[in-house]
Amino acid sequence: MAEAEEEEDAAPARPPPAGIYAEEQGLFQLLQNMLEELLIHKPDDPIEFMINHLKQNNDDAPRICVLGPPASGKTTVAMWLCKHFNAIRVSQETLLFKEVLMQTEEAKAYKERNQKIPNALWANLIQERLSNVDCIKQIPEFGEERDGFESASLLLIFQHGLGLQGAAHLALRQQQNLCLQGSFMLYASDTVLIERSGGKRLDPLTQEVFHTTFDWPSDPLVQQRLVKPEDLSEQEVSKKLLEYHRNFPDIFHIYQKVLKSINADQPSVDVLSQVLAFVQTRHRSDAPFTPRILFLGPPGSGKSLQAALIAQKYDVINICCGQLLKEAVADNTKLGELIKPYIDSGCPVPDKLVLKLLTERLSALDCLSNGWVLSGFPRDVEQGEQLQKAQINPNRVFFFHLPYESIMERLSQRRTDPVTGERYHITFRPAPTPEIQARLRQNPRDEEENIERRLNIYHSNVKALEDFYQDAFYVNADQDPYVIFEFIESCIIKPLPCKKH
Amino acid sequence: MAAGEAQSREYLRRHRLPELLQRLGALLLFHRPERPREFLIQVLERVRAGRRAEGEFPFLLDEANVDAMFSLLDVLGQGHIRPAQYREALKTLGLSTDDLELADDVKITRRVFKKGMRKKMLESWSVY
Repeated sequence: MAEAEEEEDAAPARPPPAGIYAEEQGLFQLLQNMLEELLIHKPDDPIEFMINHLKQNNDDAPRICVLGPPASGKTTVAMWLCKHFNAIRVSQETLLFKEVLMQTEEAKAYKERNQKIPNALWANLIQERLSNVDCIKQIPEFGEERDGFESASLLLIFQHGLGLQGAAHLALRQQQNLCLQGSFMLYASDTVLIERSGGKRLDPLTQEVFHTTFDWPSDPLVQQRLVKPEDLSEQEVSKKLLEYHRNFPDIFHIYQKVLKSINADQPSVDVLSQVLAFVQTRHRSDAPFTPRILFLGPPGSGKSLQAALIAQKYDVINICCGQLLKEAVADNTKLGELIKPYIDSGCPVPDKLVLKLLTERLSALDCLSNGWVLSGFPRDVEQGEQLQKAQINPNRVFFFHLPYESIMERLSQRRTDPVTGERYHITFRPAPTPEIQARLRQNPRDEEENIERRLNIYHSNVKALEDFYQDAFYVNADQDPYVIFEFIESCIIKPLPCKKH
Repeated sequence: MAAGEAQSREYLRRHRLPELLQRLGALLLFHRPERPREFLIQVLERVRAGRRAEGEFPFLLDEANVDAMFSLLDVLGQGHIRPAQYREALKTLGLSTDDLELADDVKITRRVFKKGMRKKMLESWSVY
């Protein structure tokens, strides 16, 4: 489908406040969603349509399609999702029995006569159901309103079925131009399915599906109510399976871009957790993104290494706090002169000076347009708060975790060659010749007692920092650096998971 | 789906949607409202009202801005600017300069400037 160019990424040097504002508010996504809806529906009066669309405010509401063969657990999953998201479930049964739509009578008549309900009829029923007010504006139970607008959710189950086949799906897609946000498909081998369907039991009151072996209800009242659903003989089920396999390739073809397959032959909690994780991940958007990354962790955890890797690959500016201070002193800048006495005497540089230096550096044009990665600051919550007050807000925060022994191992064996300046490690990166080895020296910072001291300071501050940065990612730093790098990369690139539900 | 794509492009062109979205974006980035959705709704409602001649279109520049712009262009404070400057100003704002037939030595006074700007902005919104 054609998409117009978005203006946010047209200007080469955006004035920074506008860029940050756009990012925070998700403007790109907002406008893109609106454009998508416009193109799908092509209303004659776009202005009116846009006003209504914005009022609905249902961009984040899930529109999910659950597909799968009989006995794969669609109803169970769908009901659970509905409860979790406070959404509406649409399926064959609900369309025929629960809702009273205009064409329900007609559909029922077909069923009475034991005839297959024509696809067009199904498509119409679904369309009607979806355009019903509560699918578009679901009134939350307690009358609460979010931001003054009621947001809506919609959850669909399309089961295999004698009524809905590939053709129906095609008709459906074209007729309503459903903008489905995510469909997933439960799969399992035929033998498993046939076995499972033997134990299926239905609760006539709530329409919930249970199983004699895998999912037995704990409430004795419910237990007594359960009935065996009709058309459950093995023959029937095999027939349904056959039909499903016949139609499935078409359906798969239609939904394939947004379809995710989930193995249904697992304990139900696993299936549910996978489903939830999938539904909550937002798809990667094309919105322009300036990374502002924070690396926090004990000394020796690899922060500077990872920062250097990220800076190199993504062209962001690498800022190491310690380095910055030393550079300031070396360059003899005004601030550098103020900092010098502290560094010389080994005392920690006061926060105010460090902050001033940092703000200056981070507001430089290259940091603003390319993004930055900062390691070694803040060391405690106060510094973090001051950073926030200075309007420097990271959009990705990482905490490196490393057990005590590994830290000691890594740090206490660090050596430097005073002649070349090369850094070596006794175990992991030994010096090549005995000659060099002989002259290696250890930085007093890396002596055991000093390491202990630094670690203690770190640990006393880290809990508060973790509370301060709620949305942080936790990195297991006790791995191969490239493994860590890939993990960090994936966290930066994927949009932050949808937290609303 | 070439037919579908051609149809969509035609639809976009017919309703001038890319330009509209660009303006909405510009308004958002300029005003930076706390609640972008509500702001957009207000803007669109104003467009709708303007269309029915019930109210004013949401111009990016109001009268004070246009005044300020003129003062910026008229560096020496002479009270008029050259047609070339006028054309440039229009171009910066993305307004069309097609139907401007001005000889190169005509002096554009503040009043003419403002009137011309207003007319152009009104024209550009009235397609919606």
